[in-house]
Amino acid sequence: MAVEHILQGFANVMDPVVLILMITGIFLGLLMGSIPGMTATMTIAVLLSFTFTMEPATGMMLLLGIYGGAVYAGSIPAILIRTPGTPSAAATIFDGYPLSQKGEAGRAIRISTVASFVGGIISVLVLMFFSPVVADAALRFRSPEFFALAVFGLTIIASVSGDSLAKGMVSGLLGMLVATVGIDPVTGYQRFTFGIPELLTGVEFIAVMIGLFGIAEGLRTYSLGISDEQDRVNQKITGVLPSFADVKSIAPVSIGSGILGSLVGAVPGAGGDIASFITYNEATRWLKNTTPSFGDGNIRGVAAAESGNNASTGGALIPTFTLGIPGDSVSAILIGALLVHDVNPGPALYQEETGLLYTIFVGFLLIYVFILIFGLLGANYWARLINIPQSLIWPVIFVLCVIGAIALRGNVFDAWIMLAAGGLGYVMRLRGYPLAPMVLGLILAPIAEENLRRSLVLSNGSLDIFYTSPIALVVLLLSVAALLVPAARALRS
Amino acid sequence: MIIKKVTRNIRQIDADTVKSNPLSIAFILFSLVVIYYANQFPDGGEIGAGFFPIMLSVGIILFAIVDLATDDETELDLSDVDVAPIVIVSGILFAYVFLMPYTGFLVGTMLFLPTVLYYSDVRSKLLIGAISIGFPILLFYVFSRIFLVRLPESQILPVSRLLPQLPLVVL
Repeated sequence: MAVEHILQGFANVMDPVVLILMITGIFLGLLMGSIPGMTATMTIAVLLSFTFTMEPATGMMLLLGIYGGAVYAGSIPAILIRTPGTPSAAATIFDGYPLSQKGEAGRAIRISTVASFVGGIISVLVLMFFSPVVADAALRFRSPEFFALAVFGLTIIASVSGDSLAKGMVSGLLGMLVATVGIDPVTGYQRFTFGIPELLTGVEFIAVMIGLFGIAEGLRTYSLGISDEQDRVNQKITGVLPSFADVKSIAPVSIGSGILGSLVGAVPGAGGDIASFITYNEATRWLKNTTPSFGDGNIRGVAAAESGNNASTGGALIPTFTLGIPGDSVSAILIGALLVHDVNPGPALYQEETGLLYTIFVGFLLIYVFILIFGLLGANYWARLINIPQSLIWPVIFVLCVIGAIALRGNVFDAWIMLAAGGLGYVMRLRGYPLAPMVLGLILAPIAEENLRRSLVLSNGSLDIFYTSPIALVVLLLSVAALLVPAARALRS
Repeated sequence: MIIKKVTRNIRQIDADTVKSNPLSIAFILFSLVVIYYANQFPDGGEIGAGFFPIMLSVGIILFAIVDLATDDETELDLSDVDVAPIVIVSGILFAYVFLMPYTGFLVGTMLFLPTVLYYSDVRSKLLIGAISIGFPILLFYVFSRIFLVRLPESQILPVSRLLPQLPLVVL
């Protein structure tokens, strides 16, 4: 019964250690999200190593605290210095910065905090009540359906994660290829191990993720010139609570954007940035004659963008937990965090790890309550975090990257893998290749390969098995559409 | 109409396109090497160990060719990129990881941090000193006493043995 699980989850998150880690995660997320250039993905990848020896639920609370805190805090520099702290806060600039210019930065941050809370809570509720239904349906899936889903995950992610579909696909396929290193699960043959014992169990994909999101980003920052000459925040943020009139004014748009943002977030690959642009755009369509107009400091614009991007966090966890297909790059890392503890995301998770799931759901709800409290009480302090120079942050992040890779298996070999991935990621970013598909490819490859081979064994090598299953056929056709539609659009233009 | 455009784009691939997109070429060559190796894997019944890597490599080659044929503007303007910091920071990182088995985590990090901080234009000796000494010690205690993860220790300079033992706090 769901109520029992929710109550049990509530009891689990009330453990003092879990609460401390949750709050620590939120503070780390607030810190990193407030500093432009430090993304939620990078922060979680770099700090993942801290969770290796924790209980899965405890570790997830730390990581989800960082996730929620960073996505919320990205709005603070967007409002104050017109630079989003995280990519998902880009749409917040449109109305947040004009409000700041009018001397109403405090009001904008309070609106952003309340809207983030509304969006986040709605998304977790959608996750809590909708994902078991999806998981229940997915329990009927067999190998052909899972293979089709893995292909769909990769194509949809590649098609939405960058300007070039071809580059996205190359990146994703490269990630899948890296995942084939190690002992072949069917024949036991050693693939691409070159006699290196550390490669027998495959390339540690967490080391690759740390390299791609930590080292590559750091190298990029240094190559473009590490500068501490960013805009400084001098505006003092006063007051704590938003006015009743403001809350009443943003309530409908926050709730609507929360629902829409959750649905957009549930589409694999559509992260907070896409969700916030869609919800902002929809708000401007729904509310045409408002004063001030959108783009001129309308609090409902801030609310739409912030509710939308925070709502994507819970939404992204729906395909992650129910199908094992990451909703965005952060949830790909969260899958990694679960796999470290031998917890395999997918429909069976809802039967085998119900306690863990409901602890995560209730914990994520509580995280948004804490974000509301800390966001309102500490707005003035979070705003000051923007002034922390990047020259102090990056050396520390490099150390965390190295220690994170070493802590995986206690050997330096994984640090070399991490550095190699960082170098490759840097060059790929330089040439316009998105990195998110590569990480998702790493996650999806074992699902795709195992289910493809199992399907073909079941069908004696015939491809019929993929089109005699209606679900697999529809999903594969959707994958083809995900490739062809943007390609045709590009060719037409 | 679309097929005509595709063939026209593929015909337009020339030496300049190839030169301006070296990574696509590198990925194609890499995939060919993978196909060569994977072809030598044993069959193992219906589908052998090489089937999936070959399929993926063929996919990479196809999409890399499409990328070569597509004139997109996703690349960063390379004139904005300074190569020197990349070489220097990568070199320092390389040395840090390479020397880790000899220096251990504590000494290695205490040498790495001031170097990178100084290179990053941090000039306050107090700040450099505090971060370079305090942060590695903090991490050492967090990992060894809370997470029970053994960090590399130098055989020559086992500095961690000089640090006071803190109680275990297992989460």
